[in-house]
Amino acid sequence: MRITQGCFSFLPDLTDEQISRQVQYSLENGWAVNIEFTDDPHPRNNLWEMWGLPMFDLRDAAGVMMELNQCRKVYGDRYIRLSAFDSSHGWESVRLSFIVNRPKEEPGFHLERHEVAGRNIRYTTRSYAADRPEGRRYG
Amino acid sequence: MDLDIADMTNTVNLREELESVGIVEILAQLDRELIGLTPVKTRIREIAALLLIERIRKRLNLTSEVPTLHMSFTGNPGTGKTTVALRIASILHRLGFVRRGQVVSVTRDELVGQYIGHTAPKTKEVLKKAMGGVLFIDEAYYLYRPDNERDYGQEAIEILLQVMESQREDLVVILAGYGDRMDKFFASNPGFRSRIAHHIDFPDYSEPELLAIAELMLRDMNYKFSADAREAFIRYIALRKTQPLFSNARSIRNALDRMRLRQANRLVADLDRVLAADDIMSLEASDVLASRVFLNDGSMTSSA
Amino acid sequence: MPQNELMTRSNPTSRRTPPEEADMNMHSMTVRGKDRYKSGVLEYKKMGYWEPDYQPKDTDVIALFRVTPQDGVDPIEASAAVAGESSTATWTVVWTDRLTAAEKYRAKCFRVDPVPNSPGQYFAYIAYDLDLFEPGSIANLSASIIGNVFGFKPLKALRLEDMRLPVAYVKTFQGPATGVVVERERMDKFGRPLLGATVKPKLGLSGRNYGRVVYEALKGGLDFTKDDENINSQPFMHWRERFLYCMEAVNKAQAATGEIKGTYLNVTAATMEDMYERAEFAKELGSIIIMIDLVIGYTAIQSMAKWARRNDMILHLHRAGHSTYTRQRSHGVSFRVIAKWMRLAGVDHIHAGTVVGKLEGDPATTRGYYDICREDYNPMRLEHGVFFDQHWASLNKLMPVASGGIHAGQMHQLLDHLGEDVILQFGGGTIGHPMGIQAGATANRVALEAMILARNEGRDYLHEGPEILAKAAETCTPLKSALEVWKNVTFNYESTDMPDYVPTPSVAM
Repeated sequence: MRITQGCFSFLPDLTDEQISRQVQYSLENGWAVNIEFTDDPHPRNNLWEMWGLPMFDLRDAAGVMMELNQCRKVYGDRYIRLSAFDSSHGWESVRLSFIVNRPKEEPGFHLERHEVAGRNIRYTTRSYAADRPEGRRYG
Repeated sequence: MDLDIADMTNTVNLREELESVGIVEILAQLDRELIGLTPVKTRIREIAALLLIERIRKRLNLTSEVPTLHMSFTGNPGTGKTTVALRIASILHRLGFVRRGQVVSVTRDELVGQYIGHTAPKTKEVLKKAMGGVLFIDEAYYLYRPDNERDYGQEAIEILLQVMESQREDLVVILAGYGDRMDKFFASNPGFRSRIAHHIDFPDYSEPELLAIAELMLRDMNYKFSADAREAFIRYIALRKTQPLFSNARSIRNALDRMRLRQANRLVADLDRVLAADDIMSLEASDVLASRVFLNDGSMTSSA
Repeated sequence: MPQNELMTRSNPTSRRTPPEEADMNMHSMTVRGKDRYKSGVLEYKKMGYWEPDYQPKDTDVIALFRVTPQDGVDPIEASAAVAGESSTATWTVVWTDRLTAAEKYRAKCFRVDPVPNSPGQYFAYIAYDLDLFEPGSIANLSASIIGNVFGFKPLKALRLEDMRLPVAYVKTFQGPATGVVVERERMDKFGRPLLGATVKPKLGLSGRNYGRVVYEALKGGLDFTKDDENINSQPFMHWRERFLYCMEAVNKAQAATGEIKGTYLNVTAATMEDMYERAEFAKELGSIIIMIDLVIGYTAIQSMAKWARRNDMILHLHRAGHSTYTRQRSHGVSFRVIAKWMRLAGVDHIHAGTVVGKLEGDPATTRGYYDICREDYNPMRLEHGVFFDQHWASLNKLMPVASGGIHAGQMHQLLDHLGEDVILQFGGGTIGHPMGIQAGATANRVALEAMILARNEGRDYLHEGPEILAKAAETCTPLKSALEVWKNVTFNYESTDMPDYVPTPSVAM
């Protein structure tokens, strides 16, 4: 399966050139770009690990790409995403977020149904990857 | 390389080329803003010419290399290195050799950490901010402390060298500092020397140049010397130059700030006096001569 | 005693020419002192409802009405009457006024302008003291402003065009239960419009069949599916049936994609008790969103908004019925006022027009509605039909929804007109796809992502739109066939509601 979180998951994987243009767009809007990675892509796991701090005051995407390449060297077997933060009043949250790296195999999720009174069902979504310990989940 | 005939037969109008990128204006601004510094201005014109041709060569597919543009600026404090760095960044930006054109100015403290694991993130932080522009490292030789083998400066040096080599299209590094110390620094860090394409030496200003600088600064602030004050300031320059910690234009600016303070106090001391705009603009000889510079000077004792 | 000219209609043939604007706002005619309260009939403009010198206070509610007086009726008197009838006045002088601080409670019409290019119509600006309104109650606000006056005989027609709500009053409302930012955080979806679809056919599907449509659409790439406004609990599908099958579909689609999905479960019902029961069940099943219809009424909407805030639920509002009073230009209530009331009332989503789709909405007016939903401050912008500066005092943002007759081939226009914080609902454009519902959803999602990518790259996406879509279709067959099927579908009809002020291009000096 292919996880379709993030802004561009329905397009073919972005090239570095394309990623760099999205980063530049974010920087020109005054947003700080953050690199995050995980091996538990559960739809409600919004706290991916941070690769350093969000990068404030950058002018050019090359700085982000430098860090992304470092991150890929270490965590290239996991999901990596870029998130751009807007600190302006009334927003103060993420403005753009997209996946820039995926594991070779994406095992997906198991949907567990717990049948309760009446015909009600309690649903639990589990990442197959999370069956294995952190750090040994892909490949 | 696909050189097509059309390109070969294309004529290049250098004047148009020069005017279209707008660097003529930057060079003129440099002339206007900076007194003296003739050798520096000449070097910058040479570099600008080289880059202009390089740009044309790139367009005609005569080159595909990213040129090395890192520079070293040597000279005493207050000789205009920072100002020139800003202009160089504009020129590089207009010609398309850096993408954004900002100048990030740092010293050792911003690059080197205090403990293990601190330096690499600090240096990278600075590099990331400078990407797309110019990184200006003032007193670069402090990065290297030969007396301490375990100095964290070495880590910063290694990261800098690597980025200067592998990301030439992403940023230009300018190393600046006193000439003699930079020479020693380069001697012990040949990696830097080989990555620097342009060395520019900033000479000290002559006394008449320092006077001209003072008058330019005063004009910008809407002040002026009276005839006596001007004479006194000429003597001030001669004395100040021989004293320690003289830093060219910067010392002149500081001196002018103190003189403005004295002038204000002199004017306020006589509240009943009716002032004309000219009085408020003028620095008088007494504003100059009250300086401590004249204290140990025997010939001045009678005039303070 | 002066006769009230509204009571004794002048001969319709001796129609008076409207005075020039310059004369219109000249001076107060208020009768003061004890003459004011002599028994009998006094013109409204002499009773203190016409005060051209009045400076509205920062705490006043200001309403702008489009007044169309009956033939022969003085526009100033008509406007003063609107002020009177929407505040303290009755048709005759009452001595009991003198037991109150009557001057404070009187609404004051302070400006009357002829409507540009519309003979016989006038814009009347009326200020209301804050004390006339109950805190935090749309029912009270609307009962005051539009309660009685719209049937007033001396007027041919009356329309409430816009309102300035003072910060002091805005702060008494909860505002959107969730808001745009928190909705995006909960759904982990940033940087692009959200995509939805209304399940079709809207009537007749069984719960099981209905769930199928929801699953296919969500798995194919939509973020939301939606019940239609009249899907409640009918013989072909009772509400519990629908909720259970829909939540199976939502959870299955979440597991299949790794994304948070939602379906607006319509809890509209006959009574509040029924609505609470349905909302509680939706919550119990883990739905992130419920839906209500505008026809349930302002009080019910505010109750559901409070319930939604307490229960971490996104609240979708379908503006069912609004066109009965928003569409005609001369009579009713402008949708921009409804949008303002709904932001105060506290819904999270509101249908606000598509510009390019099948339902009413000219681009400039629609832009005005969207700004009212999404900005923290709306400056006066006559060319968008926004008549007042409006501060929202950090009330949450309300997500506009564009729905009705739109398809993937219009993605560049939709993005240009409506921006990023909007839900684009492609009902027919998803379910009617020749390759099936999943393919329809995928086509929409790919078109959207390709357009956002291009916009962020700095491309002139509005003009290069068709090219960008064609390129994206090269690697996406569903998009290719969507573009082919709907390539000629447009709805170009004259709008019935457009701004009265058109910007004049400034002359370069």
